Amino acid sequence: MSDGTVIHQPDPRRAAASQMASFQRLCEDRVGRRFGSWPEFHRWSVECFRDFWRLFLEWADPAVEGDRDPVCEGQDIETAAFFPRLRLNHSWNLLRPGPGQEEETALIARDETGRRVTWTRRRLRKRVAEVAQALRARGVGPGDRVVAIARNDEAAVVASLAATALGAAWSSIGPDQGVDAVLSRFRQLDPKVLFATGHRFYQGQRVDLLPLLREVVPALPTVERVLSLDASDLGSLASGRLEDLGDGAGGEAFDWPRFPFSHPLYVMFSSGTTGVPKCILHGAGGSLLEHLKEHRLHSDMGPGDRLLFTTSAGWMMWNWQVSALASGTTVVAYDGSPTWPTPDALWRVVAEEKVTVFGTSPAFLQFCRESGLEPGRSLDLSALRTIQSTGSVLHGDLYPWVREAVGDLPLHSISGGTDILGCFVLGHPMLPVRQGRSPCVSLAMDVRSLRAPGVPEDGVGELVCGTPFPSRPVGFHGDPDGTRFHAAYFAQNPGFWTHGDFLRLFPDGSAAVLGRSDGVMNIRGVRIGPAEIYAILRDVLEIRQAMALEQQAPEDPGGTRLVLLVQMQPGQVLDRPLTLRIKRELSRRASRVHVPAVVVEVPDLPVTHNGKVSEKAAREAIHGRLPANLQALRNPECLDLLREHPDLGGRFLRASRDAQVEGTHDHRTRQ
Amino acid sequence: MDRGALRQRIIDWLDDQYHFGEAEQKIGDDDASFLDRGVLDSLGFVALIVWLEDLLHLAIDRRNISRENFDSMNKILDYVERRLAGERS
Repeated sequence: MSDGTVIHQPDPRRAAASQMASFQRLCEDRVGRRFGSWPEFHRWSVECFRDFWRLFLEWADPAVEGDRDPVCEGQDIETAAFFPRLRLNHSWNLLRPGPGQEEETALIARDETGRRVTWTRRRLRKRVAEVAQALRARGVGPGDRVVAIARNDEAAVVASLAATALGAAWSSIGPDQGVDAVLSRFRQLDPKVLFATGHRFYQGQRVDLLPLLREVVPALPTVERVLSLDASDLGSLASGRLEDLGDGAGGEAFDWPRFPFSHPLYVMFSSGTTGVPKCILHGAGGSLLEHLKEHRLHSDMGPGDRLLFTTSAGWMMWNWQVSALASGTTVVAYDGSPTWPTPDALWRVVAEEKVTVFGTSPAFLQFCRESGLEPGRSLDLSALRTIQSTGSVLHGDLYPWVREAVGDLPLHSISGGTDILGCFVLGHPMLPVRQGRSPCVSLAMDVRSLRAPGVPEDGVGELVCGTPFPSRPVGFHGDPDGTRFHAAYFAQNPGFWTHGDFLRLFPDGSAAVLGRSDGVMNIRGVRIGPAEIYAILRDVLEIRQAMALEQQAPEDPGGTRLVLLVQMQPGQVLDRPLTLRIKRELSRRASRVHVPAVVVEVPDLPVTHNGKVSEKAAREAIHGRLPANLQALRNPECLDLLREHPDLGGRFLRASRDAQVEGTHDHRTRQ
Repeated sequence: MDRGALRQRIIDWLDDQYHFGEAEQKIGDDDASFLDRGVLDSLGFVALIVWLEDLLHLAIDRRNISRENFDSMNKILDYVERRLAGERS
């Protein structure tokens, strides 16, 4: 079976009863026309995006106050402002009473030790209100930043919803990060409060986080309070515990203040090729509307559904997962190893909790296939109706495995990212699933595949978006005039949001995201900015200069690996002890995913005539290709070594290249 | 490849992939459990199996991935020796 083949057809009755069908009918009635196909409906949502968002607001009915006009002020994607006269409380929208939902389970928290906690919607709302009141009494309010080193559990959900209920911006990272990774992010935010977990579990090991916190806390001088998220004894580092906040009165008096539509809600981090990680500010209203759209329309989630997304508290899918509360969906938060104590541990949770929508990654599905798991045969997965995959390119060969080993379910490859706190390509409850493709691009987003001049017409290009959209970030923290924000997303293609991914669009409206187009790396689903690696390697004095690159893994077709090229100081040699020390430092100070699969000493790195090191040229070379603009390099001869080096897969790549059909050798064509 | 050479290859692989020069220390005793000592997690075991298959030109049935066969250095070496002896016989 090849890519593009239909591998799953939706059940017609379920498709007709989907929320997407309901909303499309509303739009048809209101605009007085019938949409004969998905591309037609999508085209209308783009061309008439103001009508779309007006109708979506009416249909989704979030708790908002104020004038719904104008829907969007301005036409420029960089500056357009949605619903400037609306006010809302984001947390209230996630927790407000719904018909028949008060005593229903809103949140289930499980971890690898077998711990299981459930919260009803009423109890969760009351607890959030209590904690919000307690934080307010301690001086937390609009304009503050509350940060957390958190596990994916109920404590993180309560703390985040309480902080954002007060108008503070929330920013969390997972507990597996090293001290440099934590501080390069949180120090920029001047946070007022730090929530911290005292330990984490992974594969049956309890890892104490006190050593990390002893370095982090003193380095955040603006933090007035450190609050423990769990029962760990943080000693003199902490001024209290989350569970001790609140007066036990259930937060009845809490007023759930309303804030402007674009009020800062979350700060997410995106590390790039230079400098410290960008602090991306996301607004409350835009995040809420975008997530409602993705959850209700594209994922068909609502009351009665249970969503489990494999994520840490540091990935945008954590925020995305928590937002599902606004659709009445039960969130199943899972913390720890997905494969402990048995390789099928996470599938067991999916079965036991009767999860209906399971979110995972290509790396996890690949692991399951390589382990020979057949969860659809060994477990009762009858409640499961959709699998979503994100984080990296979902290659076509995993689709048949899911069908055979899990069941005849839609496997939806969804893709977007931290930058938009949402997705550009998604699932669709009424459309077939084609192997190797996402069913559609997101409603009301003018997603295009922009070809560079001179590149052959093969449907592949830069993923850009041409319409204003509500979840466009408000800006960057610490970038008052928007210079960095403009450079990051709008300078490359004026009038468009440029996302940094390659995309192929198909005539039926399906799409395939094909990997990063910029210097940012995505290694097995984790996004890594080379700048973080370079900052740590500056302390390895034997290295003169380094370059970190993502490469298609020669031993794992479809997968990617991190390659580190190092140019040594005069008289220094890259031997095995030094290679291991480089890896150890990156693991300790950043994280395991920052560790290169291979470290190669090179006499020279490619440099342009104006002295700039060219990552692009090196990236082409390690894939066995010559860069198009070879004449721009001062030392093109250095690329020969990179193209032929056995540790960089030279022989494999040559063989692979020789075997390919003419015209399909571009790495962007892989699916 | 004899037992000692294969052991060293596994140590090198563990250092390259997970322990960055500290694999020997992490293992401690060749009879100690890899899982209990945090030498490998479940994902790591599968990666090790795939690597061994490639290194030794062996096909390892996934049903044989168990603590009995792979949860210590000696168990891995024993399993490989049994398999290679079986292939030769």
